[in-house]
Amino acid sequence: MPGFSLGALASWRPFARGENKRVQSGDDDLFDDEFQRKLDYLALVSRRVFAGRLRAERRTKKSGSGVEFADHRDYQPGDDFRYLDWNVYQRFDKLLVRLFEEEEDLAIYFILDASASMSFGGGEKLRYAKKVCAALAYVGLANLDRVSIVTTTDRVMDRMPETRGKARIFKAFRFLREIRSEGTTDLGDAMKTFVAQNKRRGLAVLVSDLYDSHGFEKGINVLRYNKFDPFVVHVVDPAEAKPKLHGDVLVYDCETGEEREVTVTAKVLARFAEAHAHYVAEIERFCATRQVPYVRASLEVPFDEMILRVFRRGGFLR
Amino acid sequence: MIFAGLSLAQLAAIFGAAGFGVLVLYILKLRRRVVAVPFSPLWERILRDKEATTLFSKLKRVLSLLLQLALLALLVLALGDPRAAESVLKGRTVVVLVDASASMQATDVAPSRLAAAKDEVRSIVRGLGGADRMLVAQMDAMITPLGPMTSDTSALERELDSVHATDARADFPRALRFATDVLRGVDQGEVVVVSDGALGEAADSSGPVHLGNTKLSFVRVGKGADNVGVTQFSVRRYPLDKSRYEVMLELTNTGPAAEDVELQLLGDGALVDLTKLRLQPGERLPRFYPQLSGASRTLEAKIARVDGTHDDLPADDHAYALLPEHRRARVLVVTDGNTYLEAALLLDEYLDVTDVAPRAYPDAIAKGDWDAVIFDRVTPAERPRVHALYLDPRGPGSPVHVAEELKQPGFDKFDRRHPAVRFLALEDVNVAVGHKLVPETGDRVLGAAEGGAAPILVAGVRGGYKFVALGFDVSASDLPLRTAWPLFVLDCINWFSDEDAQYLSSFRTGDVWRIPVAGGLAQATLKRPDGTSQPVPVHEGRAVLLGQQAGFYELSAGEQTTTFAANLLDASESAIAPQDAVVVDGKPSGTVDGFRAGVRREIWIYLLLAAALLTVLEWATYHRRVTV
Repeated sequence: MPGFSLGALASWRPFARGENKRVQSGDDDLFDDEFQRKLDYLALVSRRVFAGRLRAERRTKKSGSGVEFADHRDYQPGDDFRYLDWNVYQRFDKLLVRLFEEEEDLAIYFILDASASMSFGGGEKLRYAKKVCAALAYVGLANLDRVSIVTTTDRVMDRMPETRGKARIFKAFRFLREIRSEGTTDLGDAMKTFVAQNKRRGLAVLVSDLYDSHGFEKGINVLRYNKFDPFVVHVVDPAEAKPKLHGDVLVYDCETGEEREVTVTAKVLARFAEAHAHYVAEIERFCATRQVPYVRASLEVPFDEMILRVFRRGGFLR
Repeated sequence: MIFAGLSLAQLAAIFGAAGFGVLVLYILKLRRRVVAVPFSPLWERILRDKEATTLFSKLKRVLSLLLQLALLALLVLALGDPRAAESVLKGRTVVVLVDASASMQATDVAPSRLAAAKDEVRSIVRGLGGADRMLVAQMDAMITPLGPMTSDTSALERELDSVHATDARADFPRALRFATDVLRGVDQGEVVVVSDGALGEAADSSGPVHLGNTKLSFVRVGKGADNVGVTQFSVRRYPLDKSRYEVMLELTNTGPAAEDVELQLLGDGALVDLTKLRLQPGERLPRFYPQLSGASRTLEAKIARVDGTHDDLPADDHAYALLPEHRRARVLVVTDGNTYLEAALLLDEYLDVTDVAPRAYPDAIAKGDWDAVIFDRVTPAERPRVHALYLDPRGPGSPVHVAEELKQPGFDKFDRRHPAVRFLALEDVNVAVGHKLVPETGDRVLGAAEGGAAPILVAGVRGGYKFVALGFDVSASDLPLRTAWPLFVLDCINWFSDEDAQYLSSFRTGDVWRIPVAGGLAQATLKRPDGTSQPVPVHEGRAVLLGQQAGFYELSAGEQTTTFAANLLDASESAIAPQDAVVVDGKPSGTVDGFRAGVRREIWIYLLLAAALLTVLEWATYHRRVTV
């Protein structure tokens, strides 16, 4: 069973200078030396921080058919009697179930929102989302997981097929670099297409600003209902909560083109900021109640700090 | 309330048109700035809440419209220049007479009474009401309005700057008549006299001035009364010794205390005499200086306190006089020989006499620069351009027409006031035969026979030159045997050269001066004591002007320059004790009332201020999004 070792991650240097030059030769300088150094740093830090907690690392602990004993846990009604440890029962008069480590060939899907709203305000949100995807994909690839990246708007747009192995990170970089945002958001329809195209269940990391006029819940629910493990990375630009508007304006939605006359005053701006905060909190509350891992990726937070938050949050590394 | 500007109908029309324009602009849809947002449903959420208050929003927009209309109404109302009806009815028309006479130069109030008077007038001007109108006039020997009747206070204050003091007394009756003429037919007329009150009686040759219903107010200026002045100053040469002269002057102490003064007499700028005098309060002290010599032209009298201080009015401490010109008169005598005439001319050593026969007359008159010509029993065909005495003239060259012969004419009547025959005894002169002279208009008959019906002695002016014509041959009379004969000849020559007893050593300021100008010029140039010059008209051989400055003047006409002096010499003007009131038409003046400086009563200013305030309010509410 190929295991993921943070030590290996820390010692691995995929971004030799020659490779880096090749990366930088593209149009986008998104994944430059600085970015790659940060990935190395994150790898080191993640190893130190999570060493004690992630003992099984890339192994799942399941009762039953494993080869290598892992641990005990209390018996619960419904457990298979065959895995009861009768020796322990005899010695301690306590029913415990034996757990075995079992290798899991995990599929990680990065679902990147590529709608027009991600490019709003200079495209910082999209660049940030690409960096998040790249970093997490790097971790996944290093863990020998099957990593796939898809972009969505109101449908599935592009797709980087499943791939494994650390050396494929540059393929991911190239794919991400080519992504352009346009079109409207409809995560519900897009996720229906996604689950239909991907029969292999796995971790679905949704990286989006969740500006979905049809409801952000639909997309997440489609993933949940189809046995995927959704992980929401909510990209938030704080500047969008405080737009620099004043006076009589005609606002229009950059995706739908819908117009609305507004007279912007300080009071209106305050109410808008309140509505924005409420919307973000609503998403977080939704994920919490559905036990969907949720991380808010604010552009104010440096990218590497954001990745550490993902690690701390759990659900991505096991 | 009335509208002094546009009428109510005009205002309503302007407001209607402009108000319609404001409404149209208000109805126009606001062009909004187009802005992209990442997620419009968030805006929908807050706008849903806002729509609940749409009615209030509409009301706020109406409030904005009302603000605009109110602003417009204020501006339009200001165009109407609204005024309270009572303020218009009570608007006063004021004539301010600022005394600029010599006494206003007194320095008992610093810097001078005139400056204090100007300050008083300024405070009155600043207290004018919105409906009041005022005219400021300078009162001296003349009355000079400084501008039109106006309510423009800044213009009135500017006019005051041009008021300057003179060395003359004020012509109060003339100023009052001017003021009453200006205020004739005005309901709320008022005359304000700003003066020290030394104005004399309010009456002239036409009688006392009547003010009618016009209110007379008096603003007193000044407080002191200490003054000693030169109130008389005169000089003349002795007729038979013109190198010597005599001076008469008079000093007057108009103050309440005795004064010790030092009197200096200066001849041509050099000290001639210095005397210390003590004058009791109110004393008039005449001084006579006989047999003086040393000065050839100018004389000045100066007084100063012994202790070195100045009295309150320096203007009357200095007097000027000019001695008669001292030179030999060149006289041309055209005669075939007349011993009596030659003997008479020998009496005056200051005459330079030249005798010529009638044949040599044309050459002589062409060569010489003569002061006078005497024609003895000859008459030139052409009148000379010089003063002339004709003895028994005949023919067309005579200045007067010579009519019929008179047998034994006598001086039945003669003009004792004329300088040529003054002090002469002519009543018993016997004449064998003579001719009646026919004077022209303007000529003066000095002596006439036949009970006054037949003129035999005529004086006049021809072409700017004087003449005297005697209608008989003196050798056919006993006139040469009398004392009157040489006096008559010399008086004629003196009259021609203005060296007579009536010579004025100085003129009085405030009078109209008539200065003789030789030649037929229509204009002369006058140089004042302060060095400034002005052109003056010449009428009938005399420059006519009203002088108000003491000192030495120079009058230039062609190549001739005449110098003369002018003095205040007015005891009433030297009496500078300020008066509490002036009496006109038997009624004393009142005090000035109702000219308190305060806020102007012009409503349009406040309307504009309110409009500006509303503009600020509208600006603030718009930018604070209260009225949008």
